[in-house]
Amino acid sequence: MSDALIVFERTRKAFGEHVVLEAVDLTIGRGDIAVVVGPSGSGKSTLLRCVNGLEPISGGDLRVDGISVRGPERDLRRIRLEAGMVFQQFHLFPHLTALQNVMFGLVRVRRRPKAEARERATSLLHKVGLGSRMGHYPSQLSGGQQQRVAIARSLALEPKIMLFDEPTSALDPELRQEVLKVMQAVAQTGMTMVVVTHEMGFAERVGSRLIFMEAGRIVHDGEPGRLLREPPSERFRDFLSHVR
Amino acid sequence: MSFDWASVVAALPSLLEGLQLTILIALTGLAGGVCLGILTGVALAHGGFLARNAAHAYVAVIRGTPIVVQVMFVYFALPMLLGLRLSATSAAIITIVFNSGAYNAEIVRGALQSVPRGLSEAALSMGLPFRSVLAYVVAPIAYRLALPAMGNQVVNVVKDTSIFLVIGVGELTRRGQEVMAETFRAVEIWTAVAALYLILITVLAYSLRLYERWARLP
Repeated sequence: MSDALIVFERTRKAFGEHVVLEAVDLTIGRGDIAVVVGPSGSGKSTLLRCVNGLEPISGGDLRVDGISVRGPERDLRRIRLEAGMVFQQFHLFPHLTALQNVMFGLVRVRRRPKAEARERATSLLHKVGLGSRMGHYPSQLSGGQQQRVAIARSLALEPKIMLFDEPTSALDPELRQEVLKVMQAVAQTGMTMVVVTHEMGFAERVGSRLIFMEAGRIVHDGEPGRLLREPPSERFRDFLSHVR
Repeated sequence: MSFDWASVVAALPSLLEGLQLTILIALTGLAGGVCLGILTGVALAHGGFLARNAAHAYVAVIRGTPIVVQVMFVYFALPMLLGLRLSATSAAIITIVFNSGAYNAEIVRGALQSVPRGLSEAALSMGLPFRSVLAYVVAPIAYRLALPAMGNQVVNVVKDTSIFLVIGVGELTRRGQEVMAETFRAVEIWTAVAALYLILITVLAYSLRLYERWARLP
């Protein structure tokens, strides 16, 4: 068993004529907290969505814990069980309460008994600070609360990897911190994380790697503190001045 | 000319019998039509090449022909083609099921496609197979989106049953016609018939609205 959890190998992604990822080579190791940044349209969200097969890749290969995303659907489902995803728009199931949202995967995917699922979901919701909101429907929760439920929903399946797709971009500034705090707590459990975000503070505090993308390529990949202190390129410096 | 209540009272037993048959045809038609509509709607939205095109063809045929012609075909032509016997009531039920099924299919397709894609993606990304995503995430949201349009369909189906008088089904309108032929009390009989439809449809539409409110998400 190798320590490389996610391996991009000359991974290419195009929507018709439009190339979004150009032959990306990237290896994410166990326990990495990789923060992916870049201007919009640079391909960072697509990079993330290729990992769990929400976007099929157009060329090269991409393996998650040794399983290729080019395999049959059964393989894709195994990958998805290992790699949970948190979305910019939360995407909680609106017809289920917070508790039922977190129980959903345990009951429907892992086929655990309801009582056990309820117990685990309850403890997870307490961990993300929503013990008092379990019976609320998504529409009755603030954006920050919804996103914390979404994180708990993904964690319930006990994934090896957590993928975050701009998890705070849809939130008001005062609600971002509560989500970032939960993400930091997840990071401290040793979870492997890939985080697409504009939160440079999070990258510096929590990230073990900072990846800067532009036009479908990885331009920089290194230790966050150093990259942020001494931006190695004019482009990156320029980008930082816009997001900070 | 005065309104002769006595002729209404005299006609009532016969009209109520007709109403019973109207309700029977409408309710079986609705139940069958909803099932067929769901199957066809799912095929339209998510079916493979074959299922999708078969569904398209079916909807096109039903929408492109009058329901009177459909029931004539089912009652007179189909038995000749297949060598079977059909009662007028069975022919009426078959026709209304296939007719409303096609209209329901379009409603179901629209509702399925109105469910935000992100919700399916969230469910897929948990490792759920697509079928289960449809069943546990898309369907519970889609059916709520479809309810208002379905309310219209319920009303249409009840009214469409009156067309079956052309093949001699003894539903409400046909019974009205028969009583009329004996008594010639046109005003009283057609008022009574109209009132019975109005009551039936109002009750159905109102119950559906109550259900819609009950099913609404917070």
